[in-house]
Amino acid sequence: MDPNSITIGVATLGKIPSTVPKVIAAHISGYYDLTARVLVPRKQPAYAFDERRLQYNAGIILDTLNAVSFKGCKKVLGVLNVDIFIPIFKHVFGEARQGGRIAIISLYRLGQHQNGSAVSRSDLYSRAAKVALHELGHLFNLHHCDNGNCLMHFSGALDELDTLSFTLCRYCKAYLQDALKTLASKPAGN
Amino acid sequence: MKSTMNIMVVDDEKIVRESFLHWFRKIGHHVEAAASGTEALSRLTRAPFDLMFVDIKMPEMDGIELLEKIKSDYPDTAVVIITAYGSIEPAIKAMQIGAADYLLKPFKPEQLTLVLEKICQQKHMSREYQYLKGRLEKMTRFDNIIGRSGAMEEVFGLILEVAQSDSAVLLLGETGTGKELVAKAIHAKSSRAHHPFIAINCGAIPDTLLSSELFGHQKGAFTGATQTRKGFLEVVSGGTLFLDEIGEISPKMQIDLLRVLEEKKISRVGSSQTIDVDFRLISATRRNLVEETSAGNFRQDFFYRVNVIEIKVPPLRDRKEDIPLLVEHFLDKYSQETNKQVDSISGYAREQLIHYDWPGNVRELENAIERAVVLSKSRTLDIQDFAFLKPAHSDYREPEGRSLLEIEKDHISKILTESEGNVTRAAKILGINRVTLHKKIKRYELKH
Repeated sequence: MDPNSITIGVATLGKIPSTVPKVIAAHISGYYDLTARVLVPRKQPAYAFDERRLQYNAGIILDTLNAVSFKGCKKVLGVLNVDIFIPIFKHVFGEARQGGRIAIISLYRLGQHQNGSAVSRSDLYSRAAKVALHELGHLFNLHHCDNGNCLMHFSGALDELDTLSFTLCRYCKAYLQDALKTLASKPAGN
Repeated sequence: MKSTMNIMVVDDEKIVRESFLHWFRKIGHHVEAAASGTEALSRLTRAPFDLMFVDIKMPEMDGIELLEKIKSDYPDTAVVIITAYGSIEPAIKAMQIGAADYLLKPFKPEQLTLVLEKICQQKHMSREYQYLKGRLEKMTRFDNIIGRSGAMEEVFGLILEVAQSDSAVLLLGETGTGKELVAKAIHAKSSRAHHPFIAINCGAIPDTLLSSELFGHQKGAFTGATQTRKGFLEVVSGGTLFLDEIGEISPKMQIDLLRVLEEKKISRVGSSQTIDVDFRLISATRRNLVEETSAGNFRQDFFYRVNVIEIKVPPLRDRKEDIPLLVEHFLDKYSQETNKQVDSISGYAREQLIHYDWPGNVRELENAIERAVVLSKSRTLDIQDFAFLKPAHSDYREPEGRSLLEIEKDHISKILTESEGNVTRAAKILGINRVTLHKKIKRYELKH
């Protein structure tokens, strides 16, 4: 199977501007050279709401989506507009399990400047696409990278995210190619 | 890519353990989790861990108790304490016990990244330190000072003894005997080993410049002093200052240095402000300072200051049994440096080197091997490769106190060397037949 024929699904979970999943899908096609398909929208994951933290537990969302088949898609990226967290962190922009099948990203904090004011649409799209490509990288088993010019470099703050590149360094690029070849040799998802 | 660490997360809450596991896997570290202090200790007995994240609040064994056990049994493992907001007191206690850091959960991802980077850097520096320390120790016993002779064993013993003290050492020995190497070895074996070792050849620097080099100078102190500069006595702080050819320094400089040694304070040239200094002094000379002191050329009070412990570094002619070892060492060194396959020396050439008296000592021997290796056209160095060694320097010892057999052995060896190993020619010179000479060569083990 040709690695380029690997299909990535982009699913919205809750109310999301319709352009966002299209932009993300376009970036996946453009930067990773993979087929990206916008899937049928899904409901906001109320089941993952943590009343103590008033945030959504990213781990629960990943586990729930992992049980869904998403036919024809090797990997699936969920897009939300709620504040997500993992138990050790105050919040996360996105979450994925290393080498897993599902990743999620949240627009909740991406739509704001550090001072709380709203960012332009184009900046929001740019940030969302970077987080999506980064989390997708983890699904292809790419680790955080030391190279500050690489998409897989960890950025915990919005200003760092803004300076992050859309492209992978040559090492991560090579690891991605390896992962895609391995994935292409496996049968498609259920 | 960053260096991978072995990390263990200890927390009784499964979701916290899983969060850590997923996160560290994304970074590429090896990570394990334990649900209790007991499980963590059991894992520690099976494999070493670079870093542990320990929750402070756990049933049975709490994080503080676990930290104490880890610091006592696995001091190389860094521990980061995880605590909830509002419970800062135990975190402070943990830091006092030896925790590397603490995190108040939930924390921002970048806080965890910072802690990881800090510990990763500490581990890297610690590994680098251990490596360099190991290399330094390897160098001192006594990689650069080659010798198995009794005379050198005595020097090695003295090096180890004096390294433990902080007294001034005076190294006596002819030029080329390796006095600086001995000084370096004393420094490397001393508690000052991790501070600078600065060597100055007093004989090579004019007095005024030496003063500026040692004491430093203030901007404008003299023509050309365009900026303030620290002297070696300041730079060497905590380390060892090696003053080679101390017999050459001027009386004025002797007074200045005497004051420094007595007061442990200096003033930069052109400044009246005093600066505290801390260094160990090792000096060396090829002169007879007792005679120089009697003649009034060297201050007696300064002599006693620099000559608290005296070590005599023997000339090469007094440790001839070390020559084959030195030859092998330099042969190996220069065949590698020059990238030439010259890896052996003939028995006759070796005998020639043993019997030469080496007025320039080890340095002269080293230069001779280097020159021979560079110019040699074969893999094995032979007598003709050392033709430049002047026979005038050849070994001649008064026969007094020596047995007839020793004198015979030396004489046969000398004639063989001069005959370039030609037994027939040597036998003719010695006035004996070839068979007798062969027997004597065998008996005295002259041929290798």
